[in-house]
Amino acid sequence: MDIRLEAIGHDYGRTEVLRDITLDIPSGRIVCLVGPSGCGKSTLLRLIGGLERPARGRVLMLGEPPADCLNPLTFVFQDFALLPWRTVRGNVALVLEDHRLPPGRMEAVISDVLARTRLSDFAGALPRQLSGGMKQRVAIARALAVNPAVMLMDEPLSALDAQTRELLMDDLVALWTRTPFTAVYVTHNLAEAVRLGHRVAVLSRRPGRIREVVEIDRPLGERGYADADLERIQKHLWGLMRDEARAADEELVDG
Amino acid sequence: MSSLTRRGTLGLIGAAAAGLAAPALAARRRVVVGAMNLTSHAGSFIALERGYFADAGLDAELKFFQAAQPMAVAIASRDADFGVTAISGGLLSLAQKGAVKVIGGALSEEKGIDGQKILASDAAFKAGLTSPAGLDGKRFGITTAGSSFHYMGARIAAAHGGRPEFVPLQKVGAVIGALKSGQIDAWSIVPHIAKPLAASGAVHIIGNVADYLPGYQVTTVFTSAANAGGDRGLVEAFLQAFSRGVADYNAAMVDRSAGEAAMQAVVDIIHKYVYADQPREKAAVSIINGSMRLNEGAAINLASVRDQLEWFQSEGLVDAGITLETFLDTSYVKVIGA
Amino acid sequence: MADTAAGMAAAVEVPFRGGGFAPRPKRWVGPATFLALIALAEWGTWAGWISPLTLPRPSAVVETLIALARSGLMFDHLLPSLTRLAVGAALGVGAGIAVGVLIGLFSHLRAALVPLVAALFPIPKIALLPLFVIWFGIDEGSKYALIAFGTFTPTVVATFGAVDNVDRSLIRMGQSFGLSWWSIVRKIVLPGAMPGILSGLRISLAIAIILLVAAEMLGARYGIGAYILEAGALYDLERLFAGVVILSLLGVLTSAAIGALERRLLGWRG
Repeated sequence: MDIRLEAIGHDYGRTEVLRDITLDIPSGRIVCLVGPSGCGKSTLLRLIGGLERPARGRVLMLGEPPADCLNPLTFVFQDFALLPWRTVRGNVALVLEDHRLPPGRMEAVISDVLARTRLSDFAGALPRQLSGGMKQRVAIARALAVNPAVMLMDEPLSALDAQTRELLMDDLVALWTRTPFTAVYVTHNLAEAVRLGHRVAVLSRRPGRIREVVEIDRPLGERGYADADLERIQKHLWGLMRDEARAADEELVDG
Repeated sequence: MSSLTRRGTLGLIGAAAAGLAAPALAARRRVVVGAMNLTSHAGSFIALERGYFADAGLDAELKFFQAAQPMAVAIASRDADFGVTAISGGLLSLAQKGAVKVIGGALSEEKGIDGQKILASDAAFKAGLTSPAGLDGKRFGITTAGSSFHYMGARIAAAHGGRPEFVPLQKVGAVIGALKSGQIDAWSIVPHIAKPLAASGAVHIIGNVADYLPGYQVTTVFTSAANAGGDRGLVEAFLQAFSRGVADYNAAMVDRSAGEAAMQAVVDIIHKYVYADQPREKAAVSIINGSMRLNEGAAINLASVRDQLEWFQSEGLVDAGITLETFLDTSYVKVIGA
Repeated sequence: MADTAAGMAAAVEVPFRGGGFAPRPKRWVGPATFLALIALAEWGTWAGWISPLTLPRPSAVVETLIALARSGLMFDHLLPSLTRLAVGAALGVGAGIAVGVLIGLFSHLRAALVPLVAALFPIPKIALLPLFVIWFGIDEGSKYALIAFGTFTPTVVATFGAVDNVDRSLIRMGQSFGLSWWSIVRKIVLPGAMPGILSGLRISLAIAIILLVAAEMLGARYGIGAYILEAGALYDLERLFAGVVILSLLGVLTSAAIGALERRLLGWRG
């Protein structure tokens, strides 16, 4: 299933936050949205996921989601959004319980996604017992459990330290390589964007418009830590963003 | 001329006599007299208004209470010196603790004089509670366990071999409300409250307390044990003034021997304290309706007091070790019914 | 050199400024304070410098309690009181949680009910007792109603406050996974509000115990409150204090029960 954004515009009160965004998110690809803070990239993600209604334009789903997909558009949040009173298993079970799965199916799905995110040994642990990286892996396992058509990832690594971030990026790459998934990945971190994105859309400062869409052809599995080509792309992206970021930084919050 | 002189001389002698009767005229003793807004406290009201306390050398101040219980406690704590209240378990208990002493009688039932009434709620009345003989098992309103209502209800019902269920409601107002709405079946109360209630049709008078408890010593005069035992002059002065108020009241309101004008004068005094929120004409009816004998000379009916003590003890409401001497000092007033 | 000497001369240890403001558990102090006060009262009443009118002798209170337990009267008084507490508080707390959650979830209900609750909260419930007697009868009905009403308003306020404080990102997560409204309420809102609801419950149940005495003012022959009121009317200080001790114990026990409930339901907080 593909996603198409058609001339999306959005306002908060009298402030225009997004203007004329048109973008394709092809199936099986990771599309990164980067831009200076306050450019409306998280807002755009919520519009795609149906948590907010766009003021102008529309978000289209093209084609059918996979047959066993329980929740076509599935979020992974920056703050993990785990229920602190449920165990790892319970947090994954939460999103399956409403779907009246055949007997045994739920347990099988949970075991599968916990295995894929290397959490099988922690199924009975509570969120407060987990490190930040493990919490985000639980959130990813929960997202995988509903077999989404598109994953909407809102700065999923921003709350983590640098080392954990590296490890989790490896995990995401491994997951995608085994079973390619479609994702919109919002980040302000360009290193993440060039590491995980098949396509990187750079947004301008508010009101957010698409400055440029950069395609990265190199397969995810082959992108190393200090790859010269990727460095070059990252520099190019930074060149696009720098002035916008500086200008955005100097705006008054309410201005 | 000579007659004038004689009158002047008589006046001088009279003043001197009053001075002799009242110790320490020069420096009047301050006393706080506990009272409630009921006609049964008329003795204190009249004594104050007509200057009988002042005549007796007392600078009296009335302190009002909403219930008998806090008045007794105030006297125990020396916040008040004298009070008039019904004999209750609480009063006996305070006396046992050495705090208060009963020194005389006040309100009493007397056959032939309209006294306290036994009331039935409209619902209970219609269901057949038309005489105190039917009180067995009925819900009888009381303020608290060990109150005079408790004693009356038990004694009246027992006269017919009955035992009501007593419902404590803390305040007279709450009992009235419960009786009107039929939450309780029966109650007994002084006539100036009973008659208007019966007139409204919400309750019915089914008997007189005096028929069951003739000579019932309803309220008594009491003071702190320290006053009773150690300050005879003060207690005697108080009782003297109080008795003059009582005598005026009985003459004007109960025996009606003083004439219409005296009665209206006493009503005026009482109206300052009882039903003060009602117009004079309306209040006067209730005040006149509610006239009950106050013991002349604050005499006390020993037989009745003994019966009350025995009943409180038999119900386990007060300590079995209390004797009449524990709470009664009969050295001040005449004892009747002994 | 002079350098060193000067350095030595000027060396002053950094003063410690970080103490205090950190309460530490002192297990024995609480009970010791209790015991000391009781011992003082015992001595005073025994020696006579506390009059029997002021304070009953503690040992006499204990004797009264023992006699009360032996005679079986303790049970006769406790059973109706506990029933009134249980029924009244269950009604009030149950309705309070339901209304509080509804206020927390629906803006129209919030607009309609919050001012109403604010108006009801400061009413001294005892003042309404005669009215309740007319509405619900002088028997158990009015007693249940008084306790229920008294626990209802604090529970509503605690509950909608707790619902307001539920992490919105968790609710948005539930919506993003397509959870039904009922599932979000049951699995996210209610457990998330539970800490606030339980601390509200602590206050509500303390109020319920306070109101027990008021509830038993009208028409109760048995019950701890009725027992205390009767003892007060008879100026029987031993029984008065015996009743008060029972109420205090009841308070300690409910508080402990809520503590146990918190450990069970809120174990996830660690």
